[in-house]
Amino acid sequence: MKFSFSLIKKFAPGKYSKADLVEGLNTYSFEAVDLGGDILEVPNTSIARRFSSAASHLGIAREASAIFDTEFIDPTLKNPKFDFKDKGIFKVNIKEKVLCPRYSATYVTDVKVGPSPEWLKDVLETSGLRSINNVVDIMNYVMLEIGQPLHAFDADKVKGGIIVRRAKNGEEIETIDNNKFKLSEDTLVIADEDRPLAIAGIKGGKYSEVSLKTNRLLVESANFEGVGIYKNSKKLNLRTDASIAFSHNLSPELVGLGMNRALVLLKEICGAKIYKTEDVYPKKQPKRAIKLDLPKIERIIGIKIKRSEVVSILSKLDFKVSKNLITAPAIRNDIEIIEDVAEEIVRFKNFNKLPAVSPKISLGIGAEDDSVIIRDKIRKYLCAAGYSEVYNYSFISKEKTDLAPAEVFGIKRPISLANPLSVDFAYLRNSLAPYLEKNLNDNLRFYEEVRIFEIGRVFGDTSEQKGVSKISEKPVLGIAIYAKDPPSQGSLLRKASDGQVGRAGGFLELKGIVDGLFSNLGLVDWFMPDLNLKNNLLEDNGAVRIEMGDHSVLGYIGVLKSSKNGAVLELDMERLVKAIVEEKEYEPISKFPSIDRDISMLVASDIRVGDILDIIQSVEPEHVDDVDLMDFYEDEKFGGKKSLTFRIVFQAKDKTLTDVEVDKELQKIIKVLIEKVGAELR
Amino acid sequence: MNKKIDEIKNRAEGEIKNCADLKSLEDIKIKYLGRKGELNQILRSLGDLSLEEKKVIGPKAQSLRNELDVLIENKKNEFLSKKSRNSLDVTRPGKKIKIGHLHPLTIIENEIIDIFRSMSFSIIDGGPEVETEYYNFDALNIPKNHPAREMHDTFWLQDNQKQLTHDTKQLTESQRSKVKGQKLLLRTHTSPMQIRYMETHKPPFQIVVPGRVFRYEATDASHEINFNQIECLMVGKDVNLTNFKYIIQEFFTRLFKKKLEVRLRPSYFPFVEPGLEIDIQCVKCGGKGCNICKESGWLEIMGAGMVHPNVLKAGGYDPREYQGFAFGLGCERVAMLKYNIPDIRMFYSGDLKFINQF
Repeated sequence: MKFSFSLIKKFAPGKYSKADLVEGLNTYSFEAVDLGGDILEVPNTSIARRFSSAASHLGIAREASAIFDTEFIDPTLKNPKFDFKDKGIFKVNIKEKVLCPRYSATYVTDVKVGPSPEWLKDVLETSGLRSINNVVDIMNYVMLEIGQPLHAFDADKVKGGIIVRRAKNGEEIETIDNNKFKLSEDTLVIADEDRPLAIAGIKGGKYSEVSLKTNRLLVESANFEGVGIYKNSKKLNLRTDASIAFSHNLSPELVGLGMNRALVLLKEICGAKIYKTEDVYPKKQPKRAIKLDLPKIERIIGIKIKRSEVVSILSKLDFKVSKNLITAPAIRNDIEIIEDVAEEIVRFKNFNKLPAVSPKISLGIGAEDDSVIIRDKIRKYLCAAGYSEVYNYSFISKEKTDLAPAEVFGIKRPISLANPLSVDFAYLRNSLAPYLEKNLNDNLRFYEEVRIFEIGRVFGDTSEQKGVSKISEKPVLGIAIYAKDPPSQGSLLRKASDGQVGRAGGFLELKGIVDGLFSNLGLVDWFMPDLNLKNNLLEDNGAVRIEMGDHSVLGYIGVLKSSKNGAVLELDMERLVKAIVEEKEYEPISKFPSIDRDISMLVASDIRVGDILDIIQSVEPEHVDDVDLMDFYEDEKFGGKKSLTFRIVFQAKDKTLTDVEVDKELQKIIKVLIEKVGAELR
Repeated sequence: MNKKIDEIKNRAEGEIKNCADLKSLEDIKIKYLGRKGELNQILRSLGDLSLEEKKVIGPKAQSLRNELDVLIENKKNEFLSKKSRNSLDVTRPGKKIKIGHLHPLTIIENEIIDIFRSMSFSIIDGGPEVETEYYNFDALNIPKNHPAREMHDTFWLQDNQKQLTHDTKQLTESQRSKVKGQKLLLRTHTSPMQIRYMETHKPPFQIVVPGRVFRYEATDASHEINFNQIECLMVGKDVNLTNFKYIIQEFFTRLFKKKLEVRLRPSYFPFVEPGLEIDIQCVKCGGKGCNICKESGWLEIMGAGMVHPNVLKAGGYDPREYQGFAFGLGCERVAMLKYNIPDIRMFYSGDLKFINQF
């Protein structure tokens, strides 16, 4: 809301400049901004709770007088002189007493409608309002001055009296800005016997609008319940100064102040004659007294405070303190509990003058979630392995939810937003892979190779049944690689043709990353069978799942369909954290030397290395410590076969093995390989 | 003969001195000291000499042999050391070690967490990003149909009948009843974790919770639809505003690695009372005024305050017994200030030219 500095100064006269006031408000009251000229602004958000007492020139002046210790001139103390002893011709009937706690109306005659005096126009202009005529301007001015929205009807257009009721379904009204609204029962209206005259608390109607011909008025000062106005204003998409004010829960005590002030000004400026006010206020706002609990105030702030100081600060703000009870001014409906009082005290003690005192800290719970520690370990490991971290959006397009094998995470269906920002961001990501794939492509314009990872949440419906949904979110680690050349892995892929190399290179590097990472984290007993899950992201037969010994699936690794040199991995971090059970334990290092044996063989092209490794394991040879693939070579001259070289490391814990013993074991392995996969030794 | 030895000595010494490389040094060695070398010839011819001559010439030739041996060896070492020096140009650039880079937001989060860890705060994993109205708003004293909710532009999930699995796992029967049938949303701040933590833990404690949050708003250089916050909550019997002031002063001083003035201004957030806006002295100009701080010398950095009694109650605490402070810090804001990053959208670009700078 915008304020006129000169008007504030009229109510709180003193030797302070506008800059002093802006600084003072920021230090002691709430955010204020100097907009130049006579204007200063206080954002509604910073006074959202105390709108009733702060969204007005008087409210700001009250703060100013407390800050600068000046006199406070209260224009609402002046009562109007009524020209008649009765209330005139109108009655007020509130049908909805919850939505309208108070309604007052005054019949005013002999009004000379015309232009406003200059001072009035100036205030309106400073606050961003347009001058219409003196009557409408007075209504607006009083709202700016006191904070109570008012409305004036042309009394000749009001038939019988005022009824505050819900609109009938389908009832129509044209507002003063020439917009037509079709109303429903949700909306409260101010009506006469025949028709709705205004949308209550939001906007006046065209029919009973004050014009230059108007001579008699019905002045309304009323209170409407905040939630109702807020909902209606949203529903009608109609936000006005009045609706904003009422939405913030104004005190019904403002009603009388606003009415009296309007009547005084109508007499002064328009030469009006006034009848007595009809004021329907069935349930008065209760007077709230708060116990002056000095120890609690001290406990919140953290310093000793004298009772006299508390009383002095509170009385500057028009609070009453008697013995042990504090009563806030009626319009301060934000003061409910002792904490609210403590805020009044501490802000005028100046937050910045508080000492900084080291707290007494309790040890004991000082713990760290496992997931935090493991996340940190993974990040460090991947960085050291040459992978950079990216952050991507949590939002994704519908098409992209169809790419990855999100079923790995138990996700059956993706989740959409009710109010997406755009089509590209209409769903919650069910996998990190689509953005990682995009990151690869974007970065390839500048880099030969790209290695990236992300740790973030994915979302999905994990319910088996359609119709019954279970929203689930999971922390996931995603890694992606694009590598044109085989990474330096010795002779592993040395002679094969280009395309194949890249694919296998990226993919195999990710497999190696998993091996290294898992052993680094202390994870044991996992294997990587074929993925066998439908998806549109990965090469058919180019993906594996990462499965634990108990067959729970941690994630997958696969070659990207879209880019032949790319590969991607995703891991369910929640399951990963759970799977890490074992601490590393030292194993005695054997004192006896190990013996290596290399075996080279030709096997049919469709025999997979994994199968051969499985066979070697299944022979359960004694003393085999490790088996490694040393060389992998495909060539036409082998006629549909490929050449494999394995290194088998033999080791005993209790003795030095002899060549004879080792060769006996090796023969056993070779025999089985010949039987099962038709291996030809080379 | 004596003269001949002197002559050999002069000649050999000269040749060794002027010798240009290892190869010619080897030739010199063979020429003088080899089996058929000049010195050997002299020694072999000793038999023809008189005893007197033998006694003089023999030792003299032998000592020349030793002398030349040393000279040649020295010369050889000179060549070898020169050779190895020539083979390494130490001014060449070092070998590029390929390591990855952490995202700047991770680096900032780690720094922030490390500071709080050193002050005995517990680090709690982020909590659910999909939340219910209850935890995101109601429990935090942000009433329904009140303009205060407008400060939180919210993304809502499509189907409001959906069940949050996090809750069925984590919450007790009575807690579940609070969120049953509630609309789901993407949390607009990390503050729901205040409630969730209080519900399941007893005071006193002090925690920090990093996590991703969401706002429904148009993106520009300083606004993103998802961003990261760190929530801080400390609760005890008499945790007060002076303690809060101590913690944040210490925190910002360590974070920006210099003594920074911190300014506290009264402000309004529904979940705190008293509520505060925290400014720090501009990290760029030190308070003189520049384009970063819009000439004010101060930077708005976060909202904070004493936890509102209604929030403590929602967490299951008696506000007459316990009190505490809370604040929420935006990681992007801190990273942008610390690293002088002009546009928040760069964090979510996945651009390695950006990330690899950190």
